[in-house]
Amino acid sequence: MIYELTRDDMEKLYQRISQEYETFGAKEELGEVIFSRISSFSEVSEEKSSYSPKDFLIKRSENILEVPRADKKAVFGVKSCDLRGFQIMDLQILNKDPFYTVRRENTIFVNFVCNEMCNGGFCTSFGGPVLDRYDIQVLHRDGKYFVQADDRYERFLTGFKISQDQNVFSRHSQEFLQRYGKIDLNGIEKRMKWNSKLWSEFASYCISCGACNYSCPTCYCIDVYDDETGRKKEWDSCILEGFTRTAAGNVRPELSDRLRQRFYHKFKYYKLSKGEYLCTGCNRCVDDCPVDIDIKEVITHDYDKE
Amino acid sequence: MTLTVCPYCGTGCQIEVDYSGDHYTVHGYTRSVVNEGKLCIKGYQGLSYAGSHDRITSPMIRRGESWVNVSWEEAIDFVVKRLREIRDRYGPDAIAFQASAKCTNEENYLLQKIARMMGTNNVDHCARSCHSSTVAGLIRTLGTAAATGSIRSLKSTETFFVIGSNTTEQHPIIGTTIIKQKKMGKKLIVADPRRTKLASMADVFLQFRPGSDVALLNSMMFVILKKGLIDSDFIKNRTEGFDEFAQEIEKYPPELTEQITGVPPDLVEKAAEIYASNRPSAILYGMGITQHIHGTENVMSVSNLALMTGNLGKYGSGIFPLRGQNNVQGSSDMGALSEFYPGYVPPDSEKVETFEKLWEAKLPRKIGLMLSEMFDAAIDGRVKAIYLMGENPVITEANLSEVEKGLKNLELFVVQDIFMTETARYANVLLPASSALEKEGTFTNTERRIQRVVPVKDPPGEARPDWWILSQIYSKLFDREAYGSPEDIFNEIRLAIPNYSGAKYADLYPDGKQWPINDQHPDGTEILHVDRFTRGLGKLMAIPYRPPSESPDDQYPFILTTGRNYYHWHSGTMTRRSDILERESPNPYVEISVNDAKRLSIRNGQTVTIESRHGTIKLPAMVTSKIPDGIVFVPFHFKEARVNLLVGENLDPYSKIPEFKVVAVRVKA
Repeated sequence: MIYELTRDDMEKLYQRISQEYETFGAKEELGEVIFSRISSFSEVSEEKSSYSPKDFLIKRSENILEVPRADKKAVFGVKSCDLRGFQIMDLQILNKDPFYTVRRENTIFVNFVCNEMCNGGFCTSFGGPVLDRYDIQVLHRDGKYFVQADDRYERFLTGFKISQDQNVFSRHSQEFLQRYGKIDLNGIEKRMKWNSKLWSEFASYCISCGACNYSCPTCYCIDVYDDETGRKKEWDSCILEGFTRTAAGNVRPELSDRLRQRFYHKFKYYKLSKGEYLCTGCNRCVDDCPVDIDIKEVITHDYDKE
Repeated sequence: MTLTVCPYCGTGCQIEVDYSGDHYTVHGYTRSVVNEGKLCIKGYQGLSYAGSHDRITSPMIRRGESWVNVSWEEAIDFVVKRLREIRDRYGPDAIAFQASAKCTNEENYLLQKIARMMGTNNVDHCARSCHSSTVAGLIRTLGTAAATGSIRSLKSTETFFVIGSNTTEQHPIIGTTIIKQKKMGKKLIVADPRRTKLASMADVFLQFRPGSDVALLNSMMFVILKKGLIDSDFIKNRTEGFDEFAQEIEKYPPELTEQITGVPPDLVEKAAEIYASNRPSAILYGMGITQHIHGTENVMSVSNLALMTGNLGKYGSGIFPLRGQNNVQGSSDMGALSEFYPGYVPPDSEKVETFEKLWEAKLPRKIGLMLSEMFDAAIDGRVKAIYLMGENPVITEANLSEVEKGLKNLELFVVQDIFMTETARYANVLLPASSALEKEGTFTNTERRIQRVVPVKDPPGEARPDWWILSQIYSKLFDREAYGSPEDIFNEIRLAIPNYSGAKYADLYPDGKQWPINDQHPDGTEILHVDRFTRGLGKLMAIPYRPPSESPDDQYPFILTTGRNYYHWHSGTMTRRSDILERESPNPYVEISVNDAKRLSIRNGQTVTIESRHGTIKLPAMVTSKIPDGIVFVPFHFKEARVNLLVGENLDPYSKIPEFKVVAVRVKA
């Protein structure tokens, strides 16, 4: 069911959710959009946050000797691409990583559907920006808020006006696609070449900062280490030489090997094993890359010409 | 989220940090004019040191062999009493102060003020070991010891000349600016003994022998002179000393210098032509230029090259000494140098009277001991007390055996630090300080930008911000009112240093400002020397080539050069406490060429012995094509193999910087 809410209604919706959940939101601070505690819907920014909300479910580092627990949290203003990141990760780590799982189950994401394609974004290639699975999905368009909720959260919407236009999301999706087009993935999992010169070209620029992994809403790899306070897991980066050092060293000693692995994992291995590409078209890895390595080039590259 | 400045290199990337418990998140500040949201691996992974359980959490006094926890009052009273006793008994010059480029401007200002009000100019810090030759050189030739442009202005540069800087590893975000510009078709010349990442993508790579910088630069200038690629108008209107300079340059045809530098003449010619004709050109340099017995002359040669081609004062051109630590520029500006009061005022200048009025005290007028001299003075008994803030000389100084001997000979050794470092073990008193993530103040980055540092967490236990500790000591020592906040101290800095006079503390956030900031330039100054040089005319200097202090011979056939790697920073007290950084680089190593390794039957990873005339270390070999035959490289981060044991006490006569970059050694399998 699609509901049509006014701004005041959105505030009411926020109030209902905040009765049960600690509320966070994308919020403008010092000129950029970050995630922070909020106390009203009016604080929520509709702009794309400067980073993905990955940290809500996978802490940058945490002690895994503790019992996995999670407070109930609601995060407003997440972009569809970032939420889709969690849905893709679910295929691999839900019910396997107990910390992720307990937080996933206790967190509501209220995702905003974009009206315009962000700079460099290519979510349309992966079906964005309208999601067919969501907790609570919001489309702010023509001065109205169109809202739909998963069955689990439909109760938050009872009593609000039911929209006359029950096709607004799918129409928006079509219009968006028409307006921005999409980069054709064109069976990328079959097209990429192991010996492509792309990998060594990327390696000649890459400084191994890890930004592509840290910014990615679908990268979930972690390292485990011990310190004085316990056993920790923390975000890792497959670009680093020490990645998988625990397994007697990285089997990909060259940076070009590691960059190729990153893209093969995203566009081939995950697709073949889980049925999804490990990418949402958010462009965050490009935004944060200090040397402008563009994942879109991996998709558009003409491997046959090499 | 709290917006502050990364505690590592001098780039000064702005980071947003959320630190709760033992966990933190960090993001680059996307609106930062410095890093535009980008970070390197140290920014992303290097902040966990602040939450380490190794932190010192209580003031401690050594009683016999053991450390006893004491209150702040007792610790400070003890320090004040002992400092007074030593001054009264031996005179103020028996005390030496070591400041820190990792600390804020306010803290460095306060420490040097304490030293000078005590009556001594014996105050110095690690800039002595990194960019003191930049200060000595650029003040002589241009009048201001700082980068002449901004990081942003490098986007307008047509030719980058990188010499003695592994920029993508040591100043990664500046390095990536160069990479991006190079990708867009700009020119890149790299001069380095090692094949760095930038070298491998350069238009011209000049792989020269360590210590032959002057010969290389002079031969480039020879070509520029002969081919008429000089900027005659600029030389005529903006510089002095050309004739004498040109006479010296005549002696360096590339065919001749090849024997010294090992660089083929055609490469020198190509580099010279690109640099001089494809303007604006910017020179970026690091320790490869400065850490030599002729470090100051190297810097002046760099300055010559820029001056003769008019590559100064214009957007996209300039000279960029890349500062290794977060606040080397600032701590030098603050006068934490034995030959300069704040704002680079020499002790014998009449301008010292300004400080006498401002501080209401009689101040010393003779140059104090430099960092490298303090330990010698401790050995021979001239220095009886050292007050050290946030440094680890037992790892980082040259001629280490002398450092330890000196420390053992002291009557009082006060260490103010966040960890029990290798150096702190020699102390009588330990004052637990705060990390950069736990205090307020300002850092000045490598492009002169004063940026606000904002606390993201509380210091652990009884640890206190360095400014607070110093303010308490200052208050008790001189019976003055303590400072209430870093802003109070900053406001006094504005009175002390003209270049900082227009910098209002509140206006430095979130964007910093580049000094000079004054009535004429309230928003700061992006490019220096636009219409005139700080000293008036730019000075071209005649610099003859002199060989380094040590050359390879039959006994010691290799040249050892030292430096940092991408993952670690200095003595490793911070980075070696980060899981990921330590995982990436867990062991000391010596880089040796494939040919040399083969000749000496050394396998990759095998432990080898390196001996110099000054000491011996053992460490694993890393066989690599990055380094040419005859040269070995060892990073100085590792206490397991302290490479500075091998480095002798050979000093640049102008700046007293030790020659960390050229040591004759032998390698044994």
